[in-house]
Order: sequence, then structure tokens, then C-alpha cells
Amino acid sequence: MSDTQWPRWEVFKQDTPNKPHQAVGSVHAADPLHALLTARNVFVRRPQAVSLWVAPASAIFSVTQEELAEGPKPSPESTGVAGAYLLFRKTSHKRSMTFVDYVGQLEAPSPQAALEQALRQFTDAEALAWWVIPASSVVRSEESPETVESWFAPAKEKTYKQQSYYGVVGTHTSKLRGRGGADES
Amino acid sequence: MPGKFGTPTDPDYALRLAEFEARIARGEKIEPGDWMPEEYRRQLVRMISQHAHSEVVGMLPEGAWITRAPSLKRKMILIAKVQDEAGHGQYLYHAAETLGISREEMLEALLSGRAKYSSIFNYPTLTWADIGTIGWLVDGAAIKNQTMLAQCSYGPYSRAMVRICAEETFHHKQGKEMVIAYAKGTPKQRQMAQDAINRWWWPALMMLGPHDADSPNSEVLIRWGVKTKSNDTVRQEFINEHAPEILATGLSLPDPELHQDPQGNWRHGPINWEEFWSVVGGNGPMNKERLEARRRAHTEGAWVREALEAYAAKKSPIPMAV
Repeated sequence: MSDTQWPRWEVFKQDTPNKPHQAVGSVHAADPLHALLTARNVFVRRPQAVSLWVAPASAIFSVTQEELAEGPKPSPESTGVAGAYLLFRKTSHKRSMTFVDYVGQLEAPSPQAALEQALRQFTDAEALAWWVIPASSVVRSEESPETVESWFAPAKEKTYKQQSYYGVVGTHTSKLRGRGGADES
Repeated sequence: MPGKFGTPTDPDYALRLAEFEARIARGEKIEPGDWMPEEYRRQLVRMISQHAHSEVVGMLPEGAWITRAPSLKRKMILIAKVQDEAGHGQYLYHAAETLGISREEMLEALLSGRAKYSSIFNYPTLTWADIGTIGWLVDGAAIKNQTMLAQCSYGPYSRAMVRICAEETFHHKQGKEMVIAYAKGTPKQRQMAQDAINRWWWPALMMLGPHDADSPNSEVLIRWGVKTKSNDTVRQEFINEHAPEILATGLSLPDPELHQDPQGNWRHGPINWEEFWSVVGGNGPMNKERLEARRRAHTEGAWVREALEAYAAKKSPIPMAV
């Protein structure tokens, strides 16, 4: 049985205008618009967002701190061209809701060169992992207020999907714990 | 991005394993691309893909009731819940993919019947009260397990669990609210709720897995911070919360030996593990039907996958390396 689940796209979600786009996970889709729509349905059914970016996983040059220490790493063939690159960085070993966060864009002759520039330019925090993505591979949701409203407002408006809608249901377990048990004494 | 997966025959295995275990002890998350033992990777792929399959198959028992919901409100809630389960499957398949297994491989394992998924979904949903009861008991048990897994040492799995727990809390509450409403309702409604509780209570206890003494993977999973609590501990937490809440509604539980011990823990009678292993082994009431439903959906959706690929190839907006 031949099967396709379509190519994989990494998804970057921006929660509010003041926050960076953050890598939240990936979706499978046949084309960029399909990837954006699927990203919306998978990652923005609730909380909030103002913008989504997607990029084909195959276009991402990914390097960890450990790999960087071992020397140069080859990048995916399709991305080895001069142009604008988007840089994403992971800075914490602790649990977080995202992997890498967007730090900025720069012009470079190749992904490796972009990474070298980034290492000199973005020095405010220790980088544990980098993603370098050609700007031409990143597809963005529309920024018009109408689009932002129609794509992202329903996540907040459907209150019956929030647990807070139900308040405290019945008798909370903490009120029942002592009944007949040792806690009562 | 497949990471580096170490095996005991590697010359530097002992050293790297010590570094890896020290990272976990410091509370650091292991991320894609980091060194990890091959056994850690294998166990995570097994757990995460089973978990993903459970979310996907879990849509079937509830999805069947969308068209028969008793009100528009209940219908909207159920649609949102089933949509969440689909999303949870997507988060989890993604987390497994970061370990170098493809979506196609995982789906093939599910559709061929090789992969396992939670035994609970091989029981039938006989009445509308089952929908509320699944929310309260089945999602209630799942949340206990998932809250524990949100602490997991593997970053992508932990992140998926945090997202899932936030949404499951809605599933749990809507179910609880529904069952309590029926418990306070007409005699017929109360009887329907009691019947559903009677049928789902034991499978909910079983879905948290075999007793610790019979759970071969637990030790290594706890050492590497994949699981942070044992099956019996999680099951006890579940019973301690749910038994008194259900009894407080005036409904009963189908376990004559259930009682609270002097420490305040609710103790259950013997679990029928023969039934559990029989369902896991493929002989539950709905195993065959669930698998057939997934296969049918996959086959009937083939033209959609092909059409979208043909459209994408025609437009070819972005060069895609394969």
C-alpha cells in the first residue's frame, strides 16, 4: 500500500504582538496554505495567537550546541543559497512550551554563514540549539486585522471549550477527603 | 532531525550515559538532536505513538454520538471535544517524529494492527450517559497519567502533555457536570447514569496499566524520568479523587470491596486482569470494529491525499527536498 501523509512543516506561533514567534510543533500538509490552516486547527483551537508562520521541515538547518562544538555541519541541499535567513534559538534547559524562539533575520551567502553571523550578533543569552531557515521558505498568515480576527478570535470566544465555563462542579474532592477517614480525627 | 542514539557497545557509552542521567537529575529536558540512549528513544517512540493512536481511536466511541446529542449545547461541546482528541493525536505524532520515526510508519503500525492503543476504547458506548461518564472517568484517569507525563524528561513529549492536560480538564468537567445532572434528574436518567458508571468504572481503573509488580518497563522509565510515578500510585490518586465524588452524587460504584483505609486511601477490590489482557490481546468487544473503522477512513480518504498532492505539485510554490 503506497501512502503519503504529505511533507512535514514546522509551526511558529506568536501569542501577542510583543512576543517572538515560537516553534510549537509540526503539521503535515500538501502546500503552504494547507499547512497554515492545519497549524491553526491544531495549535490555536484555544488560548491566543496573532500570527502563524510555517516552514517545510526539509528547509530547516538545525544545529545543537554540542554539534557546533564538534565542527561544521552540512546543511540541507535545498537551502544552500545566498539570501535572507531567519534565525531561531533555544536558550533554556528547563521545561518550556516551545522549542526555539525567533531572534532575527540577516543576509548571508549560506545557512552556515548565517549561523556564524548569528553567533557573533545574538550574544545576549547562551544558545543551546539553532534553527536557520531561508526567509523564502517561511509562509506567514496575513497580518490584516480582518484575517487576524477571523483566524484567531474564535479560540477565545467559544467559552464552552474552557474548563472555567463549568466552575466548580459538584462537591470538590478536598471537601470529601476527610469523610470517615483518618483526617477527621 | 534524528539525534545521536547510544548503545551499550559504543566505546563512550558509559561516560555519555552518566552525563545524560546527570542532566535528567538536574531537571534538564532532553531535546531533539541531544545524545540519548537508544533504549530511551525506543521506549519513548513506543509510549508516544501508542498514546497518539489512543487519541485517534478515542474519537470513534464518542464521534458516533455527535448526531444523537440531546441538545445543541451538548452537541457543540462533544464536537469540540472530539476535535481536541484529533489535535492531541497530532501533537503526539509530532513528538514521536522528533525521535526519527515517520508518520507513515506509525500509521502503518496502527492500521496493520501491530500497534497498541488504550484498551478502554475497545468498549462500546451504549447510551448517551456513556459520553458524560467517559469524560468524568476515562478522561479523569487520563489526566492523572498525563499530569505525571507533563513532567517527563523528554521536551517534546512534556510540551505535548502540558497542552493536552489544559484541554482535557474541559473534557473532564463537562463529563462530570453531565453525570451529576443525570444523577439529580428523573429516575430514568439516574438509572442511565448508574448503568454507565457500572460499565466504565473497572475499565477506567485498568487503563492506568498493570500493577507495579507486573509492569516490566516501569523501572527504566522512572530512572530516566519518562514516568515519575508508578501505575499503582497514579491509580490510587485517581480513585481517591473520583470514588468520593461519585458516591457524593448518590450513585454507587460496582465494587463491593471498595472502602477507605485508616490512611484515607480508597481501596479497590481485585481487578479482573484476565479481562484486561484479553482486550489488549485483541478480544475486547470492539477491537475489530475500531480497527476496521480506522482502515475504512484511511482508504476512503486516499483520494483527498492524492488530490491535494497533485494540486501542490501543479502550483509548486516552494522547492521541497524529499
